[in-house]
Amino acid sequence: MTLPPFALVRPTTLDDALRELSEDAVPYCGGTELLLAMRAGLHRPDALVDLKRVPELAGVRVDDGGLVIGATERHADLAAHPVIRERLPVFARMERHIGNARVRNQGSIGGNLCFAEPKSDVATVLMALEASVTLAGPAGRRVVAVEEFVAGPYYAEREPDELLVDVRIPLRDGLRGAYLKFQTMERPTAGVAVLADEAAGWYRLAVGAVGEVPLAWSFGSLGEIDADDIAARVDPTPDLSGSEEYKRHVTAVYVRRALAKLERVSP
Amino acid sequence: MTEPSGPPRVAVTVDVNGVSVSRQVEPRSLLADFLREDLGLTGTKVSCELQVCGVCTVLVDGRPVSACTFLTADADGAAVTTVEGLSDGRTLHPLQESFVDNFALQCGFCTPGFLMMAKALLDGDEPPDRAAIVEHLEGNICRCTGYQPIVEAVEQVAERQRGGAHG
Repeated sequence: MTLPPFALVRPTTLDDALRELSEDAVPYCGGTELLLAMRAGLHRPDALVDLKRVPELAGVRVDDGGLVIGATERHADLAAHPVIRERLPVFARMERHIGNARVRNQGSIGGNLCFAEPKSDVATVLMALEASVTLAGPAGRRVVAVEEFVAGPYYAEREPDELLVDVRIPLRDGLRGAYLKFQTMERPTAGVAVLADEAAGWYRLAVGAVGEVPLAWSFGSLGEIDADDIAARVDPTPDLSGSEEYKRHVTAVYVRRALAKLERVSP
Repeated sequence: MTEPSGPPRVAVTVDVNGVSVSRQVEPRSLLADFLREDLGLTGTKVSCELQVCGVCTVLVDGRPVSACTFLTADADGAAVTTVEGLSDGRTLHPLQESFVDNFALQCGFCTPGFLMMAKALLDGDEPPDRAAIVEHLEGNICRCTGYQPIVEAVEQVAERQRGGAHG
């Protein structure tokens, strides 16, 4: 089916891209979410502002003890990136298994977060990692935690005149992590990320896909994580992937399995 | 080419199966429609239009994409390979031969997508094992075969690659 008509704008600098944005001129990168929404008639922008030629939005680097990932980086490239595979293997593995191989070759990390798809593996793992995003707008830059940025289903804390520039993930020596998901359809029923930095006494658990947004919690030890308690704390949305009761059950099972998997992960 | 009152157009030059093609397209032109309708390359099929079923898979600079959800404008300057580009018109590609040998199709509608997905995988650095093949193809849907013959067809080609044998 044909898309509604629109103009295509292709800025080559971040400043030019910001100048082009408005309520009716929206950021465009891989199109894995936007073009589908437009075809479904949910969205009818006058113009797409293609971000793929803006160098400030690309690249992966280690900066100030953190990993900085440009917004337009595609999932397949992040999955294969040597620095990410070495420093954050749990994140690289998650990227290797999202969507399907075509989505991974088209979709960007920034687009994934800005669309705030409730079943996003990316948001779940980034929340567990206490990652943040940098937003640029006419008034300058601001940094927002992913937990606040992904504010609701299909709703991210981005103003129409702002761009997500990069994702920042704090790096921890000796971090161990596991991400497990249960998936029988094109999107997961439940995804559980568990992370441990023993030396710092830092433990995180995040559960995604079951409800409107992923949820993450901090713990003082792995022993504090009670799968049944987590299953009671999530707020499942009943849908084609399961009822509320079923999703709570799957959550508890996958929290236990993620913890068991973490035991087998060496630092 | 003068269309003063028509919709705005974008100039694209795309290498399609080794042939350079230059056209003016609407920004909303989708690669699947461009291939099928503008170029008459109807080997690429369209079904779900949600990037889920995989029948519209083509390679853009060697990477598999869903042509149903890929702007033609984004293929400007790129090399696009479709199922028509697998064979020279006389000899089948080893993957196509293997699909025939393994009865890896029935109605055949999903086959172009499976072939192109499999090609993207086999063009990688290492010949894939069965698990990697299953994982890579999990985003393609076939309603006839039950998938086993498809996986076996790809596996046979990968084994031949690993053995270094001609095939």
